[in-house]
Amino acid sequence: MQMKKLIALGLAALMSTTAISGATAQPINENPLSDPRVRQAIAYAIDMPTIAETIFEGAAVPAVGLLPDGPNKPTDLNPYAYDPDKARALLAEAGWDSSRELDVVYYYADQATADLMAALQAYLADVGITMNYRLLEGDIGSQISVVPDDPVNGPSKVTWDILYGARAALALQEYFNRYAYGLKPMIPNIPRMNELVTKVNGTVDPEVQREGYFEMEHIINENVYQIPLYYQQLYTYESDRLHRNDAPYGNEQYNYNWGVENWTIDPDANGAGILYTNAGPAQFFEVPWQNLGIWVHNKFAFDTVLEADPVLTPIGGEMAESYEVSEDGLTFSFTLKDGLTWHDGTPITADDMLWSIKTALKFPLTHPVLQSTLKKIDGAEAFVAGEAEELTGLSADGNTVTLKFTTLDPNVLLSFSQFAPLPAAQFEGVDPLNLQQAPFWQKPIGSGPFMIQDVVMNDYTTLVPFADYHKGAPKIEQIIARPSGDNDGNLLVNATAGKADFGYTKVAGDVPGLEGLDFMNVHPIDIPYTRMLWINQFPHPTN
Amino acid sequence: MTESAIAKPRRRTRLDAQFDRIRAREEAGLAKSRGGSRTLNKFLNNRLAVIGLIIFSVILLASLFAPLLTPYDPNKIGLRDMLQSPSWEHWFGTDRTGRDLFSRVLYGGRVSILVGLGSAIFAAIIGVLIGVYTGYVGGWLDTLAMRVSEIFMSFPQIILVLMLVSILGQSLVNLILIFTLTGWGGIYRMCRARMLSLREEEYVLALRSFGLSRPLIAYKHMLPNALGPIMVNITLSTAAFILQEAGLSFLGLGVPLSIPTWGNILNVAQDIRVLQTNWWIWLPVGTVISLFVLSVNFIGDGLRDATDPTQQG
Amino acid sequence: MLTYIIRRVLILIPMAFVICFLVYCGLELTPGDAVSHMINPDALGSMDPAQIEALRQSLGLGQPFYVRFWSWFSNLIQGNFGFSTNGGVPIANIIATRLPATLELASVALIFSTVIGCLLGILSALSRGSKADGALTVVGMLGVSIPEFFFGLVAILVFALNLGWFPVGGRSMPSYVTLWDRLPHLVLPSMVLSIMLTAGVMRYARSSMLDALSRDFIKTARSKGLPEWRVNLLHGFRVALTPVVVLIGFRLPVLIGGSVIIEQVFQWPGIGNEFISAVRSQDYPVVMTIALLSVMAVLVASLIVDVLTALIDPRVRLGE
Repeated sequence: MQMKKLIALGLAALMSTTAISGATAQPINENPLSDPRVRQAIAYAIDMPTIAETIFEGAAVPAVGLLPDGPNKPTDLNPYAYDPDKARALLAEAGWDSSRELDVVYYYADQATADLMAALQAYLADVGITMNYRLLEGDIGSQISVVPDDPVNGPSKVTWDILYGARAALALQEYFNRYAYGLKPMIPNIPRMNELVTKVNGTVDPEVQREGYFEMEHIINENVYQIPLYYQQLYTYESDRLHRNDAPYGNEQYNYNWGVENWTIDPDANGAGILYTNAGPAQFFEVPWQNLGIWVHNKFAFDTVLEADPVLTPIGGEMAESYEVSEDGLTFSFTLKDGLTWHDGTPITADDMLWSIKTALKFPLTHPVLQSTLKKIDGAEAFVAGEAEELTGLSADGNTVTLKFTTLDPNVLLSFSQFAPLPAAQFEGVDPLNLQQAPFWQKPIGSGPFMIQDVVMNDYTTLVPFADYHKGAPKIEQIIARPSGDNDGNLLVNATAGKADFGYTKVAGDVPGLEGLDFMNVHPIDIPYTRMLWINQFPHPTN
Repeated sequence: MTESAIAKPRRRTRLDAQFDRIRAREEAGLAKSRGGSRTLNKFLNNRLAVIGLIIFSVILLASLFAPLLTPYDPNKIGLRDMLQSPSWEHWFGTDRTGRDLFSRVLYGGRVSILVGLGSAIFAAIIGVLIGVYTGYVGGWLDTLAMRVSEIFMSFPQIILVLMLVSILGQSLVNLILIFTLTGWGGIYRMCRARMLSLREEEYVLALRSFGLSRPLIAYKHMLPNALGPIMVNITLSTAAFILQEAGLSFLGLGVPLSIPTWGNILNVAQDIRVLQTNWWIWLPVGTVISLFVLSVNFIGDGLRDATDPTQQG
Repeated sequence: MLTYIIRRVLILIPMAFVICFLVYCGLELTPGDAVSHMINPDALGSMDPAQIEALRQSLGLGQPFYVRFWSWFSNLIQGNFGFSTNGGVPIANIIATRLPATLELASVALIFSTVIGCLLGILSALSRGSKADGALTVVGMLGVSIPEFFFGLVAILVFALNLGWFPVGGRSMPSYVTLWDRLPHLVLPSMVLSIMLTAGVMRYARSSMLDALSRDFIKTARSKGLPEWRVNLLHGFRVALTPVVVLIGFRLPVLIGGSVIIEQVFQWPGIGNEFISAVRSQDYPVVMTIALLSVMAVLVASLIVDVLTALIDPRVRLGE
């Protein structure tokens, strides 16, 4: 009896899987890429471990699944390990027309990406798929992310077959949010995914979120809606002169408790304790709400309301003395520390906070996670639309700021750990839409450990310690930032010449060169950042 | 011109010595005309031009017959064989994806020469077509063409090229188109100036009185008189365009990276690490570009000396 | 003379307008607009299209073409270059901070290449046919045959990284006060640029010197029994100078073109560098202004050249 039941269960399971693959293993429209077998074949055709080892010289971790390794990713995903024979068999089964040439596009201009494209071309050619690649220029947005009018049948408005891109995430939901109805430029609607996206965004319960992530990963993995290629680590590089004094290494793309005020640097030949860094501004400082912590000079100059740990879990207040989330999760309040001042000596007030929150809500480039938190404040819709003068859910009492939300947001604390308020007085008469165009961004006045001292755009920027910093005056005497960014040959040139004591890069191609410098220490850091192939499954005009 | 340079009897100068040498060669029967065109002989007597022609031919032929010279597909990767230094197997070593650099340089030469020579020829065709006709007929057509060329030529070329690249996008065809668009002005002006001086010549007046049509006079009877400078212009622009292709690749705005060109191969020298440790990636291709451009310049110079009697040296 | 100058200037004005218009049209045809460049492509995927549209409107990108052209052009006439779309910085400020860097680089290169080029060219002409002449010709040719960025990179590798004589790039550092402090930064880029230019000047100087030496009055001077060096220098050189002046004027486009790439190689914060990043980020107003300024510079330079040649060589004036 027991045995029979087991067999029946097993049969049922078997039937159900065959049923699934039977139902999905065919094209859903005239585009052969809508056939999961073709997509699986592509996944099998690429030898990512070899690519990671050679082209990226180890500075890439082959990916299984979209999410980075951790408790939120199922462990039983199909890795699609390199198997050209299987790829050929799948293609034969799907009746692949070898005269069809795939149009592969990418938008990273670095050499390693170009090499990767050459490698993909060769791997696909090996199993009988012809592809050509091209670098997207100009308006990348309209070429990669415009969604079709009909999200079920297409045709797609993007013209490529495969896009090499990435998903970086501050909150894990971001990996999947584009799977919601009508947001996918290249994948026909998947009803179950719509439900799951809503599920993970509408709860603060990590268990419920995890369930959602598991199921979504399985669906994507099985159907190869995307092909995750590798996890990009972040690399922090530091010269021998710099001492972090036990401060942790974290996700440098965001704000975390990096303890920069305690860092020290050995004096150079002239006895000056100068820290050289890179990625200085070329024309203006970027509003810190857009890419949050990506610009090191912004992190030096601005403090955030709350503080996060190296993996971006909120751990306490930075500018806030204390903070509180109500039982139902719909009210968030924080109280500013006493005596905080901006770099020009004027006090930091609750009014600055109110102005900053309201402006960030209207500023079009505010980071999506922060934006979606702010949009849930009561009255936000009317405020953004210009129908209401005031944001009803936002209020201040003395040094305490209170936000009331209409719906539950899983990332309130995370958002505020990345939110750097700005001095309202500096923005009299500035339209939030044109915030970036304000003269303020030529030489910002911040609240962080270092003050911006001298700015020669595109040449250098210097920062000096802010003596009244609330965590104690920083110890490094001066910071000089040169403008070379990552993915810029000049980064390595400057580093070789000793003009880069600290910095971080996500560009795998920069890493081996930096590691080759004997005075440079490179620390890889796992971050949620996955490079992947998007496959256009809609019928579409060719380019 | 040559006659007027004969030295007068006085203190011997270097010029005298030179003429003595020439006389000696003449007396020894070395300077006898070999027959054929005078221009050709003059060109062949220019040692640098001949060297240029040899280098040019070698590189051109090697590129054209690339499949005979190398067994490797220029796009065939071998990730496990990446960054090998030159060996019997790979004469120029391999690049970062293990592609054979010798074959990439040969195949890349095809594209680079196509871009350089193709653009130069197209630019010449446009410049000649417009310049010869408008220069001959004059009038408002001439003024219009002149103004248009002035507009094109008042842009520093790279500024115009960069703007056009960002407008048209990156592709091989676009690049040739852009070079043609930005390069026709020079040859147009040269042609026009030549026509202006030719059109008052008696033979032209005679042709006109026979009632020949204007295009016929311009293209059939006057154009051949300007062929020399046109050839010079084509060679010199070929050199310039090949250099520009390399420069654009450096800025990441040249031929798409999926197509090997000299510029695209040399482009990796931007990585200072490649520059320091992998000399075989950039040195051979850098040398080939420089040699090729040099040879084309030598040929252009030789042609100029051979065809233009006022330019001696 | 004055009417000649006035006439030349009057021709310039409609041409400048047409150029403005063409440049504007050209940029209008470029795919995409500044907005798409303000956003990291990786982040684009999660943006709300309505927000992007709001931003586009706020930057005035939604207005019809002629409205934007006209408002830009009328401002330009009043000396207002407008604002960079990406950062809202007044373009006049950008130009004002970048131009000195480019002028510094360009003038050093121009002076150096002219002096050395003329000297070598004349030397070459006087020793025409000799081994030295041949060698100089070949070296000169080499100078124009090596891709300039490649030359620059090798110079960085050898002189900055391996020998450590000069800094790898940039123009200044916080503690610098005088030009003297900046000099080490200037050496490599200006020398690389000079060498690219010298070859051209040399060839030109050589042929115009040869041309001058074959003139009748030189022969007369010689037949009068003047010493050879006086004939060469005083008479020959003066006549040879005219084409060289012309050449300097016409070098300007080459100089601008060359500095675009050299500035990129040496991280030199000049106009060329700005132009490249503006082209990449489709910052229309900046691209247009720089293109326009460079065209104006070329036009004005050619005007000056014409006037100068007219002054040096009376025949030109009479010919008008």
